[in-house]
Amino acid sequence: MTTYSAPDQALVHAAIEQVWGSMLFEAADPWPTGVPAEFETGLQAHIEIRGGWNGRLLLTCDSAVATQIAGALLGIGPDEPVDEPDVHDAVGEVLNVVGGSVKGAIGGSMTLGLPGVRASASPRSSEESLVVSWRGNPVHVQIVPDAELAGDS
Amino acid sequence: MRALIVDDSRAMRRIVGRILVDAGFEILEAGDGQEALDVLAAHDGDLPVLACVDWNMPVMDGLTFITEVRKRAAWRAITLMMVTTESEQDRIVRALAAGAHEYLIKPFTGDALVEKLDLLGLTPTTVGDLV
Repeated sequence: MTTYSAPDQALVHAAIEQVWGSMLFEAADPWPTGVPAEFETGLQAHIEIRGGWNGRLLLTCDSAVATQIAGALLGIGPDEPVDEPDVHDAVGEVLNVVGGSVKGAIGGSMTLGLPGVRASASPRSSEESLVVSWRGNPVHVQIVPDAELAGDS
Repeated sequence: MRALIVDDSRAMRRIVGRILVDAGFEILEAGDGQEALDVLAAHDGDLPVLACVDWNMPVMDGLTFITEVRKRAAWRAITLMMVTTESEQDRIVRALAAGAHEYLIKPFTGDALVEKLDLLGLTPTTVGDLV
C-alpha cells in the first residue's frame, strides 16, 4: 500500500510563492517573527484534498487584504471598488490554485474539492499556521488533517 | 473569432478573457460544463474556434464537457484546451484521451497561454484572415 506524506509548511509556502508571483505579481515573504498577525474581521477560504492524504487547506486574511488580493488578481486599480462576490471568488480561486499545486506535489491519486469562503477572524494563536506577508499584512495558511477536524469543536 | 471560457471562477474567466481579448478573440463565458454545452447549442451557427476548460466545476466537470463536445460531429472543429490546477500525469493523459488538444496548468502566465495559442495555430499571426 502506498503511503503519502502530509503536506508540510515548506511545500505549501512554495505553492504560495508560485501563485503570488504568477497570479498576483507580488512576493510572498514570511511574516516577521514576533509581530502580531491577528485580526478580527476577515475572510477564510477553504478547500478539501482527498486521497492518500485527507484534510483541507485554509487561507485567512483581513477583509481589506482580501479586497486587495482580488484587485491584484483581477487587474483592478487600488482606487477602484471590487464587489464582495468577486472578492470571495478571487480569494477562493487563489486557494484553489495553491491547493492544486500542493495536491500535485503530494502525488498519487488525489482529488481536490471546490473552494468555499466564509467570514472568519484570524486563527487562534495556539494553532499552527504558516503566515506570509501581503503588502505588509498577514495572510494565514493552515494545513488541517482530517484527524484534527474530527477533534475540532 | 470567438473563444469560450468555461470556469466556475469569475476571476479566472476574467483573467483568461483578458489575455484572449488581447490575442484578438471575442469571448463567450460559462460557469460549468452544462452551461457551456448550452452556450454552444445557442451559437451553433457561429461556434467558437477555441474553448478553455477548467476541470473541477460544479454541475458538470470539464472532462465530461470535453467528452460531450467530442460526441457531436458539428462541434469537432472546436479546439479544446484544459486550463486547470490538475497537474498529475494521469489527469493530462485522461484529458487528451477524451479529446483535449492542449493542457495548461494553473498557475500560468499570460505568455504561457499565448504560447499554447501559437502551438494550436490560434493567434492572429497564425490564423491570418480568420481574425
